Amino acid sequence: MSSGPMRDGIFLSLYRNRALVGVLVARELKARYRGTFLGYLWSLLNPLLLLGIYTAVFTYVIPARATSAFPYPLLLFSGLLPWLFGSGALLDAAIVLSDNGPLLRKVVCPPEVFPAVTVLSHLVHHLLALPILLAGTAVVAGMGLVRFPWTVVLLPFALLVWVLAVGGLALAVAALAVHFRDLKDLLHNMLNLFFFATPIIYTLDQVRVPILHRMIQANPVTPLIQVYRDVVLLGEVPSLVTWAWATAVALIFWFVGTWIFSRLRETIAETV
Amino acid sequence: MSTAPAIRLMGVSKNYPPLTRRGRLHSLKGALLHGELWRAQQEQQGFLALSGVDLEIPPGETFAVIGPNGSGKSTLLKLVAGILRPTEGTVEVAGRVTALIELGAGFHPEISGRDNAIINGMMLGLSRTEVIRRLPEIIAFSGIEPFIDLPVKTYSSGMYVRLGFSVAVVVEPDVLVVDEILAVGDEAFAHRCLERIARLQRRGTAILLVSHDLALVEQLAQRALYLKGGTPVLTGAAGAAVARYRSDVASDEAGGEAAGGSSRRWGNGAVALESVELLDVGGRPLRLLVSGEPAEIRISYAVRIPQEDFVFGVAIRREDGTHVFGTNTDLDGWRPERLAGDGQITLEFPRLELAPGRYVVDAAVHAKNGLAYDYACEVLSFTVAAPIGWPGCYAPRHHWQPRGPVMGPPSG
Repeated sequence: MSSGPMRDGIFLSLYRNRALVGVLVARELKARYRGTFLGYLWSLLNPLLLLGIYTAVFTYVIPARATSAFPYPLLLFSGLLPWLFGSGALLDAAIVLSDNGPLLRKVVCPPEVFPAVTVLSHLVHHLLALPILLAGTAVVAGMGLVRFPWTVVLLPFALLVWVLAVGGLALAVAALAVHFRDLKDLLHNMLNLFFFATPIIYTLDQVRVPILHRMIQANPVTPLIQVYRDVVLLGEVPSLVTWAWATAVALIFWFVGTWIFSRLRETIAETV
Repeated sequence: MSTAPAIRLMGVSKNYPPLTRRGRLHSLKGALLHGELWRAQQEQQGFLALSGVDLEIPPGETFAVIGPNGSGKSTLLKLVAGILRPTEGTVEVAGRVTALIELGAGFHPEISGRDNAIINGMMLGLSRTEVIRRLPEIIAFSGIEPFIDLPVKTYSSGMYVRLGFSVAVVVEPDVLVVDEILAVGDEAFAHRCLERIARLQRRGTAILLVSHDLALVEQLAQRALYLKGGTPVLTGAAGAAVARYRSDVASDEAGGEAAGGSSRRWGNGAVALESVELLDVGGRPLRLLVSGEPAEIRISYAVRIPQEDFVFGVAIRREDGTHVFGTNTDLDGWRPERLAGDGQITLEFPRLELAPGRYVVDAAVHAKNGLAYDYACEVLSFTVAAPIGWPGCYAPRHHWQPRGPVMGPPSG
């Protein structure tokens, strides 16, 4: 048992407890839709319904200017899916430690497994919804409108950077939320801000105001979403600069997140 | 069996940080910037839940922690379980620890008892395959087989606790930390829990338990720590610690001050034990006794304040703390009438059939409710010799009668 700040790091601890993380993810998935009529279908329905609303609004209420051959719903969906995964995981991470308070206070249990379980179970939901996007793209490609994006084989890499970034943030949020209860509300508003400050419901080239364009480009979440959309929909291999930028952001989020978590780790059990 | 202790606490203190908003934010900033969480918090007052605890518990020993509510018992258990970290001092635990602090803590209400048992077992340190292999045993022990595949939210609180206990005991820990759990479940299940704990004791598991059931503490534990306000009052034989605690409770109820004294001897001094001696039939002091010979324990006392409520008691323990025998005048049916002036009382044993070894004697005079006038721990020690080194505590006269096997009689 280690004492003081963790010497061997969060990642190693998660690796050692991977079996526990595995069963806890399974528990999360089982419990999530237990007793609902549609069960796992909600993993597909939730993003689809949201997509329907956004599509209706931006097609009929405030028509978005099309700048590419891709139908707007697909463009939107390819940004919305990773965003929902990330924001959902962070919102759950803010309460996951207090929800599992009994385990932390009454059973000896490494706290870092809980944010990891949150992120991984959201990843599973994400992967369940992903086929819809791919099927939609295949249909459009079949109609001859666009080429099917074979760059989708690069998706694991795009997902990896995204998971790393979300994981780091989730660890930080989880540990800080234990001490700082206001964080949950703050997080809601930050996520709202970033939802609109990131090219999700629009693409970067639609932003014509130079200063706004630069600000959105400087947003660290932007390259992560761009990389994802490039490979999964647009069929472009992102430039090396974009990859590097996205990877750097992901690594910084991960290391800062694990650093904050390991600093606060000791106090979690008695504060939660 | 190794001689290294299973649990060792050295100079352990635990200070809870103050829960004010400013204090928290301050410590958060300090923790992030300097990693100075503990030092920063010590400077603020916080709440000192435990201070200056030294403890060594060998494998196989059952050790109890007793004391009033808020005396730091649960904090001590959580420190040993590794849930909390000490503010000062070190806590060393050898081997796998299982904490039974709240049975079924963290069961997820929406999933089945079976799945919860697997997760709980893994949290207690088993691998998934190990838990699955022991699952039939867990289910059988819990006695809730018909419900094992239902979501836990449908369970009664008794079923909840049964499943939690069953998982915890099949883990077969090296160190078991138990907080007041035998108060739950029905009579039959409580018996099975005790049986299971006895099995762990024989297996060499060190057990640290907190209980308000003092009779149970005397029954299960060899030694005990009596905590009061976070400070150790007495570490010693379970019987002595319980007696001290009872005496303090009785004197609190009477509105008096807690009995003063050391960890070996305490009481309010209304009656004082002058001497306690082990004598042979001729009245000569004994240090070495042959097993099965007659002996008597003579207590001489001096009365400062005459009493009408008094009990004389004697307890004999093996040197390692195992309770061998105890009795008192009240237990044996003697009614107190008046105690005034100095005098003697003698407990006679026509045959003291103890196994060979070293023994210690506690003697006490106290009120019926446990309020100690004078309680002397280990006031007397003696050695019992026997021709054969029988193990245990009791060495009755006995003979073998081989009617089938062909055996030579013992020589000599």
